[in-house]
Parts: sequence; structure tokens; C-alpha cells
Amino acid sequence: MSTKSKYQNRIELLQGTLDMLILKTLQWGEQHGYGISQAIRVNSAEVLQVETGSLYPALHRLERQGWVKAEWKKSESNQRAKFYKITKLGKEQLASDYERWGRMVATIEGIMTAK
Amino acid sequence: MRLFRFLRRKSDLTEEIESHLNMAIADRVARGQSLEDARKSAIHEFGNVPLVADATRDQWGWLRMELLIHDLRYALRQLRKEPGFTVTVVITLALGIGVNTAIFTLVQGILLRSLPVNDPSRLYRIGDKNDCCYYNNFQNDNGDFDLFSYDLYLHLKQAAPEFEQLAAVQAGGNGFSVRQGAAPARPMRSEYVSGNYFSTLGVGPYAGRLFNENDDSPGAAPTLVLSYQTWQADFAADPAVVGSTVFVQMHPFVVAGIAPPGFFGDRVISNPPDFWMPLASEPVLEGANSALKGVDELWLYPLGRVRPGVNIAALQTKLSVILRQWLATRPTYSDHGGAAVIPRQHVILAPAGGGIQKLQQQTGAGLRLMMILSTVVLLIACANIANLLMARCTARRADVAVRMALGASRRRVIRQILTESVLLSLIGGAMGLAIAYAGSYMMLTLAFPGAKNMPVQAVPSPVVLAFTFLVSLLTGVVFGTAPAWLSSHAQPADALRGINRSTGDRSSLPQRALIILQVALSMVLLAGALLMTKSLRNLEHQNFGIATANRYVVSFDPKGVGYTVDRLPELYSEIEDRFAALPGMANVSLVRYIPLGGNMWGSCVIPQGHPAPGPNDPCFAVWDRASNHFLDSIGVPIVRGRNFSTLDTATSQQVALVNQTFANHFFPNQDPVGKHFGVDSIQYSGVFEIAGVFADFKMTDPRREPRPLFFRPMSQQFRGYKESDPDAAEKSSMFLNFIILDFTQAPPDAETLTRKTLAAIDPNLSVTHFSPYDVEVAGNFNQDRLLARLTSSFGVLALILASVGLYGVMSYFVVRRTSEIGIRMALGAARSGVIAMMLRGALWQLLIGFVIGIPAALVAGHFMASLLYEVKPYDPLAFLGAILLLAICATVAAFIPARRAASIDPIQALRTD
Repeated sequence: MSTKSKYQNRIELLQGTLDMLILKTLQWGEQHGYGISQAIRVNSAEVLQVETGSLYPALHRLERQGWVKAEWKKSESNQRAKFYKITKLGKEQLASDYERWGRMVATIEGIMTAK
Repeated sequence: MRLFRFLRRKSDLTEEIESHLNMAIADRVARGQSLEDARKSAIHEFGNVPLVADATRDQWGWLRMELLIHDLRYALRQLRKEPGFTVTVVITLALGIGVNTAIFTLVQGILLRSLPVNDPSRLYRIGDKNDCCYYNNFQNDNGDFDLFSYDLYLHLKQAAPEFEQLAAVQAGGNGFSVRQGAAPARPMRSEYVSGNYFSTLGVGPYAGRLFNENDDSPGAAPTLVLSYQTWQADFAADPAVVGSTVFVQMHPFVVAGIAPPGFFGDRVISNPPDFWMPLASEPVLEGANSALKGVDELWLYPLGRVRPGVNIAALQTKLSVILRQWLATRPTYSDHGGAAVIPRQHVILAPAGGGIQKLQQQTGAGLRLMMILSTVVLLIACANIANLLMARCTARRADVAVRMALGASRRRVIRQILTESVLLSLIGGAMGLAIAYAGSYMMLTLAFPGAKNMPVQAVPSPVVLAFTFLVSLLTGVVFGTAPAWLSSHAQPADALRGINRSTGDRSSLPQRALIILQVALSMVLLAGALLMTKSLRNLEHQNFGIATANRYVVSFDPKGVGYTVDRLPELYSEIEDRFAALPGMANVSLVRYIPLGGNMWGSCVIPQGHPAPGPNDPCFAVWDRASNHFLDSIGVPIVRGRNFSTLDTATSQQVALVNQTFANHFFPNQDPVGKHFGVDSIQYSGVFEIAGVFADFKMTDPRREPRPLFFRPMSQQFRGYKESDPDAAEKSSMFLNFIILDFTQAPPDAETLTRKTLAAIDPNLSVTHFSPYDVEVAGNFNQDRLLARLTSSFGVLALILASVGLYGVMSYFVVRRTSEIGIRMALGAARSGVIAMMLRGALWQLLIGFVIGIPAALVAGHFMASLLYEVKPYDPLAFLGAILLLAICATVAAFIPARRAASIDPIQALRTD
């Protein structure tokens, strides 16, 4: 029962925003899948929890699009992990995603604040 | 490659997930959790590992690939689960596909073959028939001219610049004794070709050089070119052979070079030439009997390479005009009414990219028949497989229904079933290849037992492999689609409710139709098989008119080892004496050409007092020269007059023995004994006196009625010919090449005994061929026998397949109708009634099959008519036999399951679902 109430406290991620969040996280430096999920959680003050079932498909999708590059490396805890790194193409994508996001927030804000 | 990348990425993902979990656990442990708790909560947080992996892999677009692998794995598991079904289908398919591939290998090797030369599409032959080997008259009634003299060839060559090059090749071939160093002479095959032969074909040497025009000029030093295979096999691949001298019929020839590997000459035959010689060397070997010097002697096939863009039809017309002009200048062709026939003489330009179409025309009809029959076998096999698949699919309805109820899409189900049938057919195809190789090897050996270096291989070529793959794939797809479609329409609810019982429902219709088709096709094959077998029996067991039991044929070559005409009588009499002294010898004889041995010589016969025959008068008679005891040695009786005797000497009256057909043809309603006749020229029409008439026997073609035939004694050479050509031919006819040994009881070591006896007379004389006369005669029917055996095996195969098919379907019906039968029996039906009910269904299919099959077999028989000997294409016995065989097999196949149905225990049947 306790798990269910925990879920209700979280905000469902909007469609398409996960890719943007991942790219943003990678802009601070290369990171592995676990690290990315931790970073998003910490940076959202535990509000956003990325499901692995969404995270990994998203990472592989971004890799296929050429927005991120993957490489096997040792992690800080000396663990072999697959590190993702944002590419030039990825940065452009992030910029355009962020711009779209801004417009959308403004539009929704407009609707919500309309008298 | 793609698959490899797929597998690598798959393990990559597994590792990535593992590392994620490890880090999550490590974090939790660092936060103070126990290892156990950390692992539990990390896995809990991660969620369903396989589901995440699946969702991730989905991003790669690899899902199709993975589905295929799944399908394949599932299909393999299904096939392994039912080994009986799998083995039956694979064997059925392997036989069907194997038979087709074997036949296609031969079709490709013989009929669709291009010569291994440069740009074969521009090669054309002047002439399209296969008249052989020496002629000096018109060849075909319709004026189709296909044999040419050297003079005529030079004429055409000079007048037709449309040919980049025009070569000439000998129509027949020669068997010569070839000797190298001190080794004993070996028999080899050769062919005379013009000097530009190899350059016309665009073939370069493997070693040394090939012919040029200098080699083919009068008086040139004799040279020859060896085939690569012969150089390998008979000259131990010794490079020093090039430039060395070998002796052909005792004449020195320099080996100019070796033809490239794979080059087998200008035609596909079972015994390609061992070496080629320039036309100019023909007079060297043949002396005064040379065909090259005979202006009218027709013995060459012209073969040329046309320039690009030449209009073939126009060239053909032009060459025909040149031919007629040449013929008009030659008295041999224009005299005695010949001038009237010249206007219709013409040539046909035949594409020669596949070589001179000799073997193709001989075997074409048979091969095409085999193609059709093997396709029918495949159809029957496919029908069987479709039936089996369909029965299985119905049996697996519940399985399919469960899968559809669990959400499998119809497409997915169809794909699964199709994967299975394609997999099956590919396995069958692979096994079929093995059968095909064995099959074509066997067919080649049986059809051409004397073949040496035959250019047709049993190994399937890439084209054949592609053909097999395509056939297998098609079989799988076509015959897998119907059952897949049927079962995908299963209503899940129905199937799950347990509707596995029925009384003859809609889905059994296609199965019945397939059985009917099988019966009809089997009828065609069986009738064909019986027709061919009967024809072969008629051929082999006909009365040839000669006795062959306990007789042996020995061939030798006195000319090849240097005997001259004047030394022959002494040699012959010594051979007769020595062999007659062997134990158990009844008769010894010598002869130039043996009956049914495949070779012969003919002349135009002119009875004394008759005018010279015109070009349309049938004057042709086969003639042969033999010793006095020849007719005795082959058991042929004299019906009038006398046999040859010792009184017929070199100086006495020239005599001849003629057969009954000769007597009736040239001396109708007269007593031929004492009459005179001559050959070829009217001035000699009184030379030969008929001493006696012997009973007809088959001399040349065992399929045809005997033709006029006469024998002359080996003791008499006619020295009166004034022209050099007939005189040379007469001299050459004094050489006898066969000894016939007629034993009262054949000794077990007949061959060694023969070789020893001949060597004792002259160590240079070797036996070039030794075989029982029976075997020699049977050699005439190699291809007929093969054809009959193949059609018979196809027929048996069809019978077995159809019976198995019927049995399978009947058994399946019995299982499906178990509860129905149970109810009937519970209600009082007798066992015999149940059997009758089941049989009735089967017999109806049989009957309809016959209704379709018998007319089809009649049509097939009509197409086979040219291959049949003294059998009508509608031979009632063959048809009755086929009907009976099929009916018996079908009844047995249907009866076994029917009896099983009758033995059903009603209580049991009603209890089971």
C-alpha cells in the first residue's frame, strides 16, 4: 500500500520531455544510465523518478538518432559501465527541444491565467 | 553480419542492465543497507528486467529479426516433437526435388549448355541437321543441305565476308591408334578441323600453340593439338609432350600444343576428341582414300563467327544461292536428273553457341519427357505434403486457438506456420541436392557407359542450385499458405470448447481434392511407365535375326599398326586358324562392321541392265565385308543359293551375298541368284554376281525394318576401278576390324585367352575392345533402358506417394470422426457397415481421379509416341495395368484405416473428446 501512495506524489513526465531531460543531464558531462536517473531525481528534488523501462529505451533511441554516443568505461566506483555523451547534433536537438518546451509552457500558462 | 551485430548488441544490453543494478546496490550498501536488502530494493526499483530489455531492443528495429529467430526456434521444436511427420515430409520433398534437380542438371548440361569459347552467341553453323559422316549425294528430300565438301567449304568461305572467320570441322570422328615412344599403341578419338578452328572459336592454348593456317596447308608437317583431359590422363600431364613427336596410325605428328582445360570441342558428346588434327593431315593418314581431295565428297560442317550486326536471314539466302551455283557445276550432283533437285537445295544457319546440336537432338525428346514427368512427381509430392500439413494444422487447432485467445495476431500465426513449412521445404531441398547428385551421376553412367571425358558433369551448377532453392522455397510457400490460412481462421472459442469432433466438414474438401489430383497424376505416370517398359521389352526382345549368345566381339586395328593390303590375307587366315584351334570354338569369323554395332558403310546399288538411278530413286544399300564363316558365326541361314566358300578367291568371279530385302527391292519377282549388280557408277554394274540370299537381320537401326544389305568376301578385292577414289575406297574396305568368336561353351577366361592369341600372331596387334555380343547389342538401348527405368521409378514413386497420402487422409478422418462412428455403432451400425462407409468415400475419390487421369494419360501417351517401339500410345494393357495397380494400392491404403474405424469401442469413443 505504501508504494502506491508514493507513486501518487510524483508527476507523470510529459511525452517527449524525457529525451530533453536526458540530453540536459548529459550536457554537464558524460554519465551512465544509473547516474542519469539519479541526477534527474536529485535535481528535481525527488519529484521526478525516471522509470528504467522508459530510460533505457530512450537512451538507445537517442543513440540511434546520433544525439548521444556510448562508450564502455570504468565508473567512479571502479565499476564497468556504459557512459553516454552528448554529441554536437544532440546539443542542437536540446536547444530546439528547450525552445519548444518554453513556448509550450508559456502557452499553457496563458491558458491557465486567462480570465 | 547483421545477425552478428544483433547478437553483440544484445549481450551489450544485458551487461548495461547488470551494471545499472550493481551501481544501485552499491549505492544502497553505502547508505547503510544490508547487501540482501540492497539487492531486493534495487531490483524492485528497476522493475521487470526482461520487459525493460525488450522495450529497449524494440528501439533498434531488430524486432523482426528476433521474431524470425523465435519462429525458427519454435518451428524446429515443433518438427522435433513429431519426428514421424518431419521425416515423411522431408523424404517426400527430397525425392520430389531431388528427381527434378537431377533431371535439370542434365537438361542444363546438355540442352542449355554454351560452348566454353569466347562470345558463343555469334557462332553459327551452316546446316542444322546431323547427317554424317561421308556423303556424295543430296541429304534430305526437302533440300536441306548440311554436309559439305572441302571444295564447297572454301567456296562459301571466300564468298561470305559476313563471317569474321569460317572454320570447318569433320562431321564424324576417327578412332586411331596413337603411340608415344616405346609404349604400346592406344586407341584415341580425333577430329579433323580447319587451321582457323581455334581462332574462330576464340580459344587460346593452355600450353604450346594451337593451329594456324600454315598447319593446314598442303604438305605442311603434320601437327596435332591435345585436349587438356587427354594430356592429363594419357600423357601424365608431362609438359615435355609439347613439341614432341607421337605416331598416329604409324605416321609421325608433332604435338603443337594443348587446348585449355574445359574445352571439349565443338559439340557436347559422350566421347569428345582426344586430339584435333588439321584438315591438311587427312590425306597423310587416308592416302588415296582421302576425303579432302574428293571435290564432291561431303564430310564437313562449316562453323563460323558472324560479324556483329549481320542479317542472318539474308546471309542464309546468299549462302543457299552459292550452294546451288556450286552444285550446278558438279556432274555428280547435276547429272541423272539431279539438276531438277538442285533448285530446292538450301542451307539453314543454325546458332552454334551451344555447339553442333547432335547429342541435343538425340536426347532432347527424352530429356523433355523426363522434365515433365519429374515435375508431375514433384506435384504429387507437394500435394502429399500439403495434405499432411493441413491434417496437422487441424490437429493443432486447439494450440492455435489458445495462442489467438492469448492475443497472437492472425498474421503472426500465419507467419509461424509458413516459417515451419518453408523450413521443412528447405531441409527437403538440401537433402534433395544429395539425391540429385547421385541421380544425375547414375543417369549419366547408364546413358553413356562408354563415356570418356564427357563434358557433362553430375555436380549441380550454381544455376541448378538456384533452381533447387527456388523450387524448395516455392513449394514451402505455396503449399504452406493454404493450411496456414485455414488454421488461422479457427474460432478460438469453438476450438477451446473442444470442437475437435466432426462428421465430414468443410475443411476436408481441399484434402479430398488433393487426393483426387494425386490419383489422376499417378495414373499418368503409371501408364507412361508401363508404356515405356513395354516398349523397351519389345525393343530388347525383338527378333534381331542374329544369334548373340556365347558370341564375343573382338575389335582390333591392323591398319593402325602398319598392315598394308597385301599382307592382310596372310594375317586373316592366321587369325582364323589360331582362334579356331581354341577349345570350345564353334566358329571364328572376321568382319568389317558388326551388325548392331553402330557403324556401317553404304553405296548406291545399280543392277546390271538398269539405267543410272536419279537423285530420287532409292538405290542405297548397306554393305559389309566378311570372312566365309561370318553368317554361320552369327547364326544367319542362307535361304537361296550358296554361302561364300574357299572357291571364291582373289582371281575368281566377284561374288556377293544379299539379304531378302535387297533381293525384293532390286530384283522383285525374280530369282536374284546369278544376277549381277555394281555400285555408284553404271559402268561397273556387272561386277558383282549374287551367289546367295541370306535371311534378313537388323544390321543398323534396331528400331527400323531391315534395309537392303549385301556382303562381299574378304578374299576379293575388285581391281577394276579406273578412278582413284573408288579404288582407294575399295582398298580401304579390305581392312576388317572385328573378330567374332562363336563358342559352343564360353571359357571363363575368354578375354585373356583372346588377348594372348592375338599377341601371339603379332605382338603389335592389340585387342582394342572386347565384349560379349549380347552386351554390344544391349548398348543400342542404353538410353531407352534408362528412360524406361526412370519412368518406372517415377511411377512407383507416384504410387507410393499417392497411397501414403490416401492412407494419411483416411487415418485422419477416422480420428476426426471417432465420436460420430461411436454414436453410429452405439445406435446399432454393424462393423462391416462402418468399413463400407469409410471405403465408399475413398473409392469415390479414386473414381474421380480416374475420370481425370485416364484422358490425361492418353494425352501424355500421344506425346510419348515417338519414343515408343511397337506400342500404341493407348495400349489397353498398359492402361488396364495402371488402373489395376492404382486401384489395389488405393484400396489397401483406405482399408487399413477403415478397419481401424470399425474396431472403435463405442463406449470409449463417446467418452473421449
